[in-house]
Order: sequence, then structure tokens, then C-alpha cells
Amino acid sequence: MRVQIRTDHAAGGAIVAAGALVLALSADLPFGTLASPGAGMLPTAVTVLMMAFAVILVLRAAQSPPLADIDWSDVRHAARVVGVMGLAVAFYISLGFVPTMVLLLFVLTYAIERRPLLPAVLFSVGVTLIAYLLFNILLKAPLPRGVFWY
Amino acid sequence: MAFSPGVLLYAFVGCLVGTLVGMLPGIGPLAGISILLPVTFGLDATRAIVMLAGIYYGSQYGGSTTSILMRIPGEAASVMTCIDGYAMAKKGRAGAALSIAAVGSFVAGTFGVIMLTLVAPPMANFALRFGPPEYTALLVLGLVFLAYMSSTSLVRTLLMASIGLLLGCIGIDVMTGHFRYSFDIKELGDGIGIVPVAVGLFGIGEILSTPASAVTEKVVPPRLRELLPTRTEWRQSAMPIVRGSLLGFSVGIVPGSAHIIASFLSYAVEKRLSRTPEEFGKGAVAGVAGPESANNAASTGAFAPMLALGLPTGPVTAVLMAALLIHGVPPGPMLVSEHPDVFWGFIASMYVGNLVLLALNLPLVGLFVSVLRIPYAYLYPLIIMFCIIGVYEVNHSIIDVWIMLTMGVAGYLLRKFDFDPAPLVLGLVIAPIFELSLRQSLIMSNGNWLIFVQRPIAQGLLAVCAVLLGLAALSPLFKRRDWRAKLAEVEAGEASS
Repeated sequence: MRVQIRTDHAAGGAIVAAGALVLALSADLPFGTLASPGAGMLPTAVTVLMMAFAVILVLRAAQSPPLADIDWSDVRHAARVVGVMGLAVAFYISLGFVPTMVLLLFVLTYAIERRPLLPAVLFSVGVTLIAYLLFNILLKAPLPRGVFWY
Repeated sequence: MAFSPGVLLYAFVGCLVGTLVGMLPGIGPLAGISILLPVTFGLDATRAIVMLAGIYYGSQYGGSTTSILMRIPGEAASVMTCIDGYAMAKKGRAGAALSIAAVGSFVAGTFGVIMLTLVAPPMANFALRFGPPEYTALLVLGLVFLAYMSSTSLVRTLLMASIGLLLGCIGIDVMTGHFRYSFDIKELGDGIGIVPVAVGLFGIGEILSTPASAVTEKVVPPRLRELLPTRTEWRQSAMPIVRGSLLGFSVGIVPGSAHIIASFLSYAVEKRLSRTPEEFGKGAVAGVAGPESANNAASTGAFAPMLALGLPTGPVTAVLMAALLIHGVPPGPMLVSEHPDVFWGFIASMYVGNLVLLALNLPLVGLFVSVLRIPYAYLYPLIIMFCIIGVYEVNHSIIDVWIMLTMGVAGYLLRKFDFDPAPLVLGLVIAPIFELSLRQSLIMSNGNWLIFVQRPIAQGLLAVCAVLLGLAALSPLFKRRDWRAKLAEVEAGEASS
């Protein structure tokens, strides 16, 4: 008989695996005793509890929809946004606030959302400059300066 | 101090920003508060909390505008307003629906503040009797209540809360100095901050789940000439506002997504009590007045346990609690006596805030609607930029920004697999207090677990937990569909629309 994989099978299984990894990482933490609990007591107890809930989820997975029913039509868009954000975060400190944000906004609006070039450029530059003035000048919140010093 | 121009100015700014946050899809009150948290660093604690709380209850007002004019709930508590509010707008009664929502919110918000003024100080006095075992029991009750009230299953909610508790264990153990799961990253020594987690799960996660093409920009323009409801509409909305206020505050002080639950319960109550239930869904005035009042009263009610007990009842109050802690003001029983300026300043600002919101929402509705015309393709990059700035500015740590991004991906996946991220945030916030109370209790009792059932208050709190868990275990035996199942249906409908 072919078993249909359901969303809770996948979610529960992933959480059990993550719990096992956390337990392995917790091995060097002292558990202590009940009268003198150590640093490892709560994390271990919570991980065991988490794995127990995940096992219940797997056991009751028949109530959840099939894994294949999840609508992933937006995943490409989400992956592109995450990728662009990841690059922006990676260069945020070294490049500085202004260049990073101009590039981030421009790539998101022009390359990902396919907005016209001129509005995308004006939006990216204008919004970044307003944010720079608001945070760095008005609110005195220091923003990363990077190699270009702004 | 409470009514000083400076404090009132920040209440006004908070309400204004909150109204916008409530209206704009893709940015809810939680992300709004988290993003603007760093802006408050230069302020004293009173002004900071007044502004952030203004964002919270302002967002409850703002959510009604998009619900009525566009059938898009700017935030989850406005889902019920969509049904009859938009139907009224299609009938040319958008102005009346907005007025009823604003007046209902004002009445309920003011009622909530009066009740908060009366309830919070005695609640704080009572909590002075709490020791570590009572706090442990209270926090367990908070989590169990959250799970019981949740529209998703008990197991899913407790699973999310335990992941939050586990994330809260990252960093240096305050009692022994051990590093836990920090992988030699010194920034993780202080633990994972609530701001990157909240902004990631709720801000970035929401953006990743909302492709720009899926956001409609169709607005039913309000006829401002018809802003005032008719006498019949006023009469039809009076009792739903009263009932929504009472119900909302009562639900608000209970942990869980109180404002969402309150608006749903209020809608169900009004439909049940109505002489013309068939009108619901087709533009019933009570279907706007009740839920809008209930969600505002609930938002205010949620502050009672936060201020008096130091117990966050949901992710938004958890972030507000974190904001108070950042400003060196620990919420809890000692707040009223040790920081009366913060406590009473906060209460006073809410009286004024409700007036400000009433004044803002009606005359400026045209202006707010024009903000809604900003294409989402430009709006979400702007939100992403503010998320990065907001999270980075808390600790000037790029690690926090990476955590935000990771949590954004996690939030996207959690939505796909039908998990509610709110209990995770709550678990993260209470983890340090919970661990400290639990370990102190065990040390006090020399390792005897019976300490939790030998002290009357802790015993009572745990008895309530047992009853709730028992009821939850029995519920599958009774196939009756209660309001939680219906709420889940509405939320699922919202997600798919």
C-alpha cells in the first residue's frame, strides 16, 4: 500500500530531526540535579517536549493535507527576494548604508518587480536619501558608513 | 508629566503611524512596533512606551479602513469587519461604516482604558504575593491558555511555544555562566533578541508570502458627504458597541491573540442576538460596530497582565515588554510603585490617544486612502529597508539582521505548513523568566516538585491549566464545531484570498 506523505509528516519529521541535533549539541551542557539544576536542564527538557509534540503531529498527520497540495507558486519570487536581501545584508557593513539600500531597492523594484527604469531609479535614490536624513541626521541613529563613508 | 505636550506629541505620532501600519498590507502592528523600536532609544521610557502603544491601538483603528474600503484586512483583527463593512461600502455607506467603526473603537478603547485604570493596580498588588513557584505556574498557564484559545491545534501551538522556549535558551546561562548554543559567535552570548525574530517572522515572512501581483489596489471611495450614519444606523450600532466593549476587555486580559478572537466572538454574538441575522454578510451595521469595538477593547485589556504581572499575553505585548526592559523599566507588580510616571503616563496617553484616533480617522480618511494607492511593488521594498534599519539599530549587530532574514524564511515556511508563529515569539520572551523561576523554585524546595502544588496560588493556577488541557483532550470526543474551528476557517479563507 502506498502511503501518502502529508504536511504534518514532513513538518513533524523535520522537527524531530532538529530536536535530535539539539540534544547532540546539548551533550556538553551540565544537566545538574533537581535540587541544583544546571545549564542543560531546561534546554534538554524543552527539546524532549518539542520532539514529543512533533511525534504526536506525525501520528495525527492523516488529518493534515497532502504535502503535494501546498501551493509553492510564490516560492520563486520569495527565493529571489531572500537572495537579494541576503546580498544586501552581506554587504551592508562593508559597502555602507546608502549604496547598499539604493542597490537593494533598485534590484527589487526594477529587476524583480519589473517596474520602469526611471521610476525605479528615482524611488531607490529618493527613498534611501530620505531614510538617511531621517535616521542619521534627524534621529541621530548611526548607520553603517562602509568604504564610501556614507 | 502624563499630559505634558512632549508625551502627547509622541502619543499622536504613535497613533498616526499605527493607523498607517494597520492599513498597509504586509506590515502589521508587531512588525511596525519592532521596526520603530530603535527610534525610541533616544527617548525616556514614558515617551517610548506611549509611542509604541499608540502604534498598537492605532493599528486596530487603521485596519478597519482597508477592511471597509478594499475588503483587505490591514491586520488580522479586522477580518470580521471586511464582511459587513465592505458590503456597506458597496451600498454607498462607506462613510457611515467608517464613522461607526471609529466611534465604536473610541468608545471601546476609552472603556478599556477606564477598566485598565481600575484593574491593573489591584492586580499588581495581588501579584506582590508571587514567588518563583507562582511565576512558573503563571507562565505555564499563559502558554496553556494561548494554546487553548488558538485557532490551530493545541499540539501545534505548544510545539511552536516550545521552539520559542528553546530559542530563548541560546546565550549565556545567567545562573552558571555557561555558553549555550552560541557556536563561538560572541553576539549570541546575549541570546537571540525578540526584535529580529518578531520582524523576521511577521514582517519579512509576510512579505515573502505576499507576491506583489496578489495585492489588489481597488478602493471603494468613501462618500464623505455621507460620513454621518443615519439615526437608524446609530441605534443599530449602540448595543453592539456596548457588548463589544465588555466582551473585548474580558477576552483581552486572557493570553492569546485576544483582539482577533474578540472580534470574531463579537461578530458571532451579534449575529446570534440579531432579529435579522440574514442581514449579516450583506451590510449589517452590528457586524461592523461589534467586532471593531471588541478588538479595540481587547487591545487595551491585553495591557493589564503585561503591566501588572509582567506577563505578555501575545507577541505584540511581548515586544512592548521588551521595549520597557530595554529602557530599564521591568514591567510587573513593582511597576506602579517604582515607575508611577511610566505607568500613569501610559494610561493617560491612552485616553488622549483614543481622542486623537477619532479625530484622525474620520477627517483624514481621504489622505489615508491615497496612501493605499502606493503600488505594493514599491511598498514592500520600502518595508524591507525599514526592517533592516530597525533590526540593525537595536544592537548595531549584523548578526541580528541575519537572524531576521533566517526567521523570515522560517515564517514563510511556517505559513505554508499552517503553523502560527505567535506562540514561538511568546515562548522566546518568557523563556528567561520561566527558566529563572523554575530553577529558583527547585532550589528553594531542594528539588521537590511538590512545591508547585503545595502553595495555594500556584496550585490554583496549575489546576486551571489541568482543566484547560482536560477540556482540550476531550474536545475531539464532542464533534460540536466551536468558535475556534470557525475562526480557523475565516483565517484560512483570508490566507487563500
